[in-house]
Amino acid sequence: MTQVAANHPVLDPVFAATFPKAALPVLRNPQLRKNVAHAIDVIQAKRAKLVAEKTDWQELRSAASAIRAHAIENLGAYLEEFEIRCTAAGGIVHWAADAAQARQIILDILRQENANDVIKIKTMTSAEIQLNPFLLAAGVNVFETDLAEIILQLGEEEPSHIVVPALHINRSQVREIFSRRMGLKDLSDDPQALTAAARTYLRQKFLTIPTAISGANFLIAETGGVAVVESEGNGRMCLTLPRTMITLAGIEKVLPRFKDLEVMLQVLARSATGERMNPYNSLWTGVTPGDGPQNFHVVLLDNGRSSILSKPTERQTLKCIRCAACMNSCPVYRQTGGHAYGSVYPGPIGAILTPQLMQMHHAQSLPFASSLCGACYEVCPVKINIPEVLLELRSQVVNQERKDLARFFDPMYLGLRIANLLFARAWLLHSAQFLGRIGISFFTRKDGWIHSLPSVGGKWTQTRDLRGFPKQTFHEWWAARGPATDPALSKEAT
Amino acid sequence: MSAIISAPGQSRQRILDHIRVATRSVAQNAPQLASAYAALPRTYIRRGTLSAQARIALMIERLREYDAEVVESTPAALPATIAAKLAASGKHIFVVPPGLPAEWLAKGYDWNVDNNLTTAEIELAEGVVTTAFCGVADSGTIVLHHSPAEGRRVLTLLPDWHLCILRASQVVETLPEYFDRCQQPPILATTISGPSATADIEMTRIKGVHGPQFLHVILVRDEI
Repeated sequence: MTQVAANHPVLDPVFAATFPKAALPVLRNPQLRKNVAHAIDVIQAKRAKLVAEKTDWQELRSAASAIRAHAIENLGAYLEEFEIRCTAAGGIVHWAADAAQARQIILDILRQENANDVIKIKTMTSAEIQLNPFLLAAGVNVFETDLAEIILQLGEEEPSHIVVPALHINRSQVREIFSRRMGLKDLSDDPQALTAAARTYLRQKFLTIPTAISGANFLIAETGGVAVVESEGNGRMCLTLPRTMITLAGIEKVLPRFKDLEVMLQVLARSATGERMNPYNSLWTGVTPGDGPQNFHVVLLDNGRSSILSKPTERQTLKCIRCAACMNSCPVYRQTGGHAYGSVYPGPIGAILTPQLMQMHHAQSLPFASSLCGACYEVCPVKINIPEVLLELRSQVVNQERKDLARFFDPMYLGLRIANLLFARAWLLHSAQFLGRIGISFFTRKDGWIHSLPSVGGKWTQTRDLRGFPKQTFHEWWAARGPATDPALSKEAT
Repeated sequence: MSAIISAPGQSRQRILDHIRVATRSVAQNAPQLASAYAALPRTYIRRGTLSAQARIALMIERLREYDAEVVESTPAALPATIAAKLAASGKHIFVVPPGLPAEWLAKGYDWNVDNNLTTAEIELAEGVVTTAFCGVADSGTIVLHHSPAEGRRVLTLLPDWHLCILRASQVVETLPEYFDRCQQPPILATTISGPSATADIEMTRIKGVHGPQFLHVILVRDEI
């Protein structure tokens, strides 16, 4: 791999900085924040308009939520049904317990096919398992075909959104990347011209490269079919022209019946891109003689998913259909963009999915990257209660940390242990209040506000002011007030 | 790269065992699973309420909203309507699926019938003419099941100009009504809603990326 700049975003949760640290480069980059906010505003407005015109939106959400919950609660049965049907239709089903296994299975298939080149439909799951760098290191040339993915691949950038991965890059930056990497000197920054450049760049590759990799939006247990949802037609190219097709899918992507798509397609298109329907949906079942790839492989990826399934509150994370409505509605994501999350899954869903996929060994700062405002839950088409899962994960992180001996003198945990002592004993609390009032008076300005505190208190005053101590505590006021003077109250008391 | 590589052969059992342990409390057998599935709430709108006229009008409006060009035709005038569309396209080389009626193929054009045409041959075509399985008015969607008159998937993909013949009787109002029309799940299906498009650069909608840039629909008034 090429040398990357020091502030190049790291999307591997094992190596990524904590959220507050990783967010800083973005917060200090006005261009990036402008790009993100613009894109988010456009999608949000389109989504809101099309959801409003759907009179049965809440009924669709309820059905979508129930179908997805049912599918993952009965995941074993539906995966086996999918495997049987897909195999009967001429597909080959592989099971990968983790990322390394999935990468190896895919490489083995490519080696069997003597494939030196491969074309790819956008798949966040392949980014999750870091497939591209692995294949490149193994000598396979990988060509992304989604416009956003081409921008990222040629610009050596990282995805910052799961539906519009290059939304942080504006037209003049795209122009710079394309003209440099495609050798087009006179390219304009008109999106039409940039799109045309991508079409020309890819056309020959579509027509000649005989191996393709895709993700899956849905696996249909009833038929063994696979559904891919897209806009550009690059997906249809990859699904139709090559000789061999490899689909990488998380095990949670399964739907019980073909008919369930009548709900999922309606909620997905509106939630993801604010369209009544995205330009293309493709559904195929195994191998069809004379039409499309004649070798078809599905790689079913666990990589931490089955362990999420075992936890009753967190299980709902797996209902996700990757529409990105949660990140589009998130006030935190709007400010930081996707890279701060240190994962290919950013935003609220990333904040709950990433640490769980890491089995809580990494990305522990993500559950705290939220104001718990609940906007994500409100827009989620499958009703994942993201704030509920965030709180559950926060408590797990805190329980991990407070048992950690290295954190014994961590000011926050030390402070909380002391507070625990004080609040349990009135005389201690009163003495602490007395001393505290004296101590804090040095930091209280004439206006009665504290504008800056040292040490751990600074975490609060960095971005907010704090009210100074009042002249009297509540207890003091209560004791000093004398008997009740309100006649209504004293009457009630008798 | 923290993962531990294990033998893929054992992974299937390992994953399924994990899932089984995690979901012990739910349906234990096929009848239980089927009744749990049947009990899922489906209170959303399944059937439309529009009159036939209004349904077709909505289909046309939604198709146009997504930059498809629509003209109407009677069944009798269809060959002439197709001929007029072809003439207006300025294109000469066409591919067609084998199941298309011969009277639709107007004289004076290079018609290449897809009896296993190669990709290179299809790539040379400037346009394609097909039928469809269904139209969904609510979203302006055309559904192909790739029958002999709808063509292989590649046929409606490579040419830049697609003329689709849709009969009014094939148009339903809501997406669930399309699913009701499927006697059984299709082996292959493609839904098309307007020409291929992207909004990846600054959310500006650009039509015509890799799929056809121009989608034309002739709506045949066969039931009204």
